[in-house]
Amino acid sequence: MINDITLSYLIFLCPLLTFVVNGLFVGNKNAKAAAVIAVALNGISALSAIIVAFHYFASDYAPQKAVLFEYTFIPFAGDLVAKIGMLVDPLSVMMLVVVTFISLMVNIYSIGYMREDRAEGRFFALLSLFSFSMLGLVVATNLFQMFIFWELVGVSSYLLIGFWYHKNSAVSASKQAFILTRFADSFFLLGIVLVSYVVGSFDFSTINSLSMAPFKAGTVNMGLLEMSRANALILGSVLIFTGGWGKSAMFPMHIWLPNAMEGPTPVSSIIHSATMVVAGVYLVARLFPFFTICGDTLTLIMWVGAFTMVFAAVIACTQKDIKRILAYSTLSQLGYMMLALGACKIHMIVATTGWTASTFHIFTHAFFKCSLFLIAGSLIHQVHTNDLDAMGGLRKKMPVTYICALISILAISGIPPFSGFFSKDEIILAAFQGRHYVVFGLTLLTSGLTTFYMFRLFFLAFHGEPRHEGVKAGHVHEDLAMTIPIAVLAIPALASGIVGKKLFEEYFVIEKLHVPQLLKLAEAPWLPFVAVGIAVIACAIAWLLYASPKAKIQRALDATNRTSLYKVVYNKFYFDEMYYAVVRQFIFGGVARVARGFHDIVVEGLLAFAVWFTHKLGDLVRTAQAGYLPFYLGTLIVGVLIWRFFGQLPL
Amino acid sequence: MSSLLNMNIIIPDVLLLLFPFIVIGIRLFCDFRSKLPWRIANFGFIAIFVLLNFIPLASGEGRFLISNWKVDDFGVLMREVLMISAILGMWLSKDYFEHGADGKPQMHQIAEFIGAIAFATFGGVTVVSACDLLTFFLGLEIATIPMYALTAWNKKDQLGSEAATKYILMGSVATAFELFGFSYLYGFAGSLHFSEIQQAVAAGTSPLLWLAVLFLFCGIGFKLTLFPFYTWAPDVYEGAPTPVTAVLSVTSKATAIAFLVVLVFGPLAPVQEQIAPFIALLAGTTLFVGNLGALKQSRLRRFMAYSSIAQAGYIMVALLGPATMAKTAIIYYLFVYAVSNYLAFFVFGIIGHHREETFASLRGLSKQNPGIAIALAISMFSLAGIPPLAGFFGKFHLFFSGASTGHYAIVAFAVLNNVLALFYYLQLIKSAWVDEPDGHLTPLRLTKRQRSVIITLSIAVVIIGVLPFLSNNIFAGFNY
Repeated sequence: MINDITLSYLIFLCPLLTFVVNGLFVGNKNAKAAAVIAVALNGISALSAIIVAFHYFASDYAPQKAVLFEYTFIPFAGDLVAKIGMLVDPLSVMMLVVVTFISLMVNIYSIGYMREDRAEGRFFALLSLFSFSMLGLVVATNLFQMFIFWELVGVSSYLLIGFWYHKNSAVSASKQAFILTRFADSFFLLGIVLVSYVVGSFDFSTINSLSMAPFKAGTVNMGLLEMSRANALILGSVLIFTGGWGKSAMFPMHIWLPNAMEGPTPVSSIIHSATMVVAGVYLVARLFPFFTICGDTLTLIMWVGAFTMVFAAVIACTQKDIKRILAYSTLSQLGYMMLALGACKIHMIVATTGWTASTFHIFTHAFFKCSLFLIAGSLIHQVHTNDLDAMGGLRKKMPVTYICALISILAISGIPPFSGFFSKDEIILAAFQGRHYVVFGLTLLTSGLTTFYMFRLFFLAFHGEPRHEGVKAGHVHEDLAMTIPIAVLAIPALASGIVGKKLFEEYFVIEKLHVPQLLKLAEAPWLPFVAVGIAVIACAIAWLLYASPKAKIQRALDATNRTSLYKVVYNKFYFDEMYYAVVRQFIFGGVARVARGFHDIVVEGLLAFAVWFTHKLGDLVRTAQAGYLPFYLGTLIVGVLIWRFFGQLPL
Repeated sequence: MSSLLNMNIIIPDVLLLLFPFIVIGIRLFCDFRSKLPWRIANFGFIAIFVLLNFIPLASGEGRFLISNWKVDDFGVLMREVLMISAILGMWLSKDYFEHGADGKPQMHQIAEFIGAIAFATFGGVTVVSACDLLTFFLGLEIATIPMYALTAWNKKDQLGSEAATKYILMGSVATAFELFGFSYLYGFAGSLHFSEIQQAVAAGTSPLLWLAVLFLFCGIGFKLTLFPFYTWAPDVYEGAPTPVTAVLSVTSKATAIAFLVVLVFGPLAPVQEQIAPFIALLAGTTLFVGNLGALKQSRLRRFMAYSSIAQAGYIMVALLGPATMAKTAIIYYLFVYAVSNYLAFFVFGIIGHHREETFASLRGLSKQNPGIAIALAISMFSLAGIPPLAGFFGKFHLFFSGASTGHYAIVAFAVLNNVLALFYYLQLIKSAWVDEPDGHLTPLRLTKRQRSVIITLSIAVVIIGVLPFLSNNIFAGFNY
């Protein structure tokens, strides 16, 4: 294992090194060199991760957990020690491969995409900072480490969304993303404090091996109220989930994710689709045994996920901005993953198929969604707009991109044998086995919606007549650096399902749970056929509306003759506006104004008084210093008298 | 053998006593342009400093030479502080004998000047070596009288003469207080010797003792610029030539604080707890008044006067602690203070050679002479006690010593005052770094000596701060 430990260090150190070297030394001077360094080091990192994963899964040791290294970071009281370490289990190894591989692809892609940007070096530095933080997050051995990297990920996301800081919309989107996720993270931190206080440890292994029984006795005093330790744990689990709620942009904290599309497309592709946003899902998956003992938290998670899934899919059907469609699609897919985890719980019993399905979907989704974003970036790079109105007819100009797009879209639609089919099918099955039939129906419905909006995008972008002057004039071509990663990513988008299915079913199992497990699971051999059938129908509808020879595309794109329902959906249910109303009226207008008033009058007033008073005293000292010798001599005598009476000597 | 050992440890003291006579004597025999006295002075001071470093520390009670001359750890380290101050003061003064500065004419008679500094240093050495009241008092006077002369060294400068007049008049009154206090102490204890006084104090107190304490503190309060005896300081610091101001603010202050240390942890040790409130009051008022006075100054040396008044207050805080800890903290701080303060004075000296010594002359320094601006910032941040510079650790030890005996109120007050102090130190840095350059200012030129001294001192301030363990020998000296 020594070799693997060295490799495991490399996985982290390479991105960190890239960040330091590019950020401090190379970035400003030589963008080319920065790109080369970034690709080379991230390549080493990805290679190491793949080797480690290969070794791990090939060894007999496989589904067990191992800690490759661990250092004490901050010793709090007693056993409560914050450590930084590297946990190896199927979940973290899978994430390592995904993150490093996607990161490598995106780095290569960025060579093309950011070629003419004035701050290319900074971009590569920040991208590697993100990779490093994300890697630290997925291998965290404890909540504390996870939180540190969780925040680092948030910071790098903030920096990258606002990368084009000369654009006002990018700046406000980055602020929105940061503030909203920070808002959720504050609950996460509270949850960590609460749980670690009750449990006495940050370690995942300790927290995951708890059973509720010992916590029935005893209470926790939380200042305002006193609650039993068991309830405190449940509250803590909800708080912890709130962190993931914000990070994975679940309804109603979803609004930051579509707006985050203001960042450069490679950023959207790695951070806001493939890796960072699944951190919330990952968090729940990581602490799954803990969540199972915590009352109905999982049910809450399921409903949050299910609602987000449908809600986002509906919005995606109406959007015109290609990146926003993908963003809402990401939201919807994240909803799938969340609900799969939540659906595991059936009253007091647990069926773990959902957990496997969810982690599987993280894996497959990363590839095809990343690929789709990169394709979107490619299109945007050629037509210089995000708007589907202005695309169309790109099939002939960009044949490789076209084929890869088709593969990824078939994957996300769940058509066999593409990767998405396997994982999504398992999720739907998990909802069925969990006997959550409403949710099960929603997953099928969303499956149809997904297919519809993806093919809508596909037909509008690639088929039909070109609607863009540049495309008509033939100025469109495929950029090599941008096409290679797309083509490479098409392979796992196609095959990761078939290859991964065995792996996930064998290794991605939860071993020890302190709740009864449902062993006899309902079979549903008909389910794949239903799901595929729905997808095919949805695809056909999309074809009819947007690609068939009879389709009136101009009419389909015309925004004037819309029903009011369509407008509500198109405007994302006016959720942004609601947020702004709350923020403006309530927070800025109400709370902030009062706080400001208090600060202006009381705090500033006291401060101003203190300053004024000090200056007056200073004036006094200086006035006494008139240079008049008799006065000075007088002070000597007076001084003795002063200290005779006030010196507190026992005279 | 033991007498030989005893002889060894006293060699630096004897050399220091002979040293001014040699330097002044040589001047009689050579041309007045000759550099010989200057060279010998350099060699002599450095040799004495090196010899001091050979005296082994950690010697417990200290060694007595004759019944009233004691060399202990505190004494040796204080000697080193005083020697550093003397050497740096001498180097700083050299330029003032070559041309005038800050609107004052050139000074003359460098050999005598250095001799006077050496006498003052010897006075400080006598104070830390004394074992009885008489020697103690003599040491204090030997340390003070050359200062009067040094203040008025520039005979053509009327301000200097005025300052010296004020200084000597007020100093005489303070000396009278001092003598009065000593006489009462003698009257109380019936002996001049410290150990016997200590026994008498331990045996019981009387109003006689407290009167003696009151007058002793008031008398030394003059030298240490405690409230309200500090009034001479701003005028004298301003009127005296710049190198003399520097020597005043370090050597004179170090001697005075050593005097208090010897007194409080020697004869008065049994009643330290009873005089602690008095010390705390003196410290608190002094540092507050010093900080207040420094707030709106425009002349650099006047500013430094108030700054050093405040610093005296900070040092007083350490006197509240247990003996070992207090001595360690004070010695360490005096080293740091000497280095930081001289660094500031060297910078002011360079400015004074070309411009007026005011805040306005610093404007745009960072753009014209970034090196000097950095040195200035280092010294100011160190004096203000900003980590990781030496001043921070110095102040930390001072406050720690005060806090270790539970005097939290005064420590908290001192820390709060540090914020006030930061304000005016930052104002100076602002002048140098933020304010736009003034085209009318004469450009600055550095001599080789100035440059090397400034670089060395800057590095010293940073290094002592970043690597505080370098000063371990100070702590080791007290088994701390």
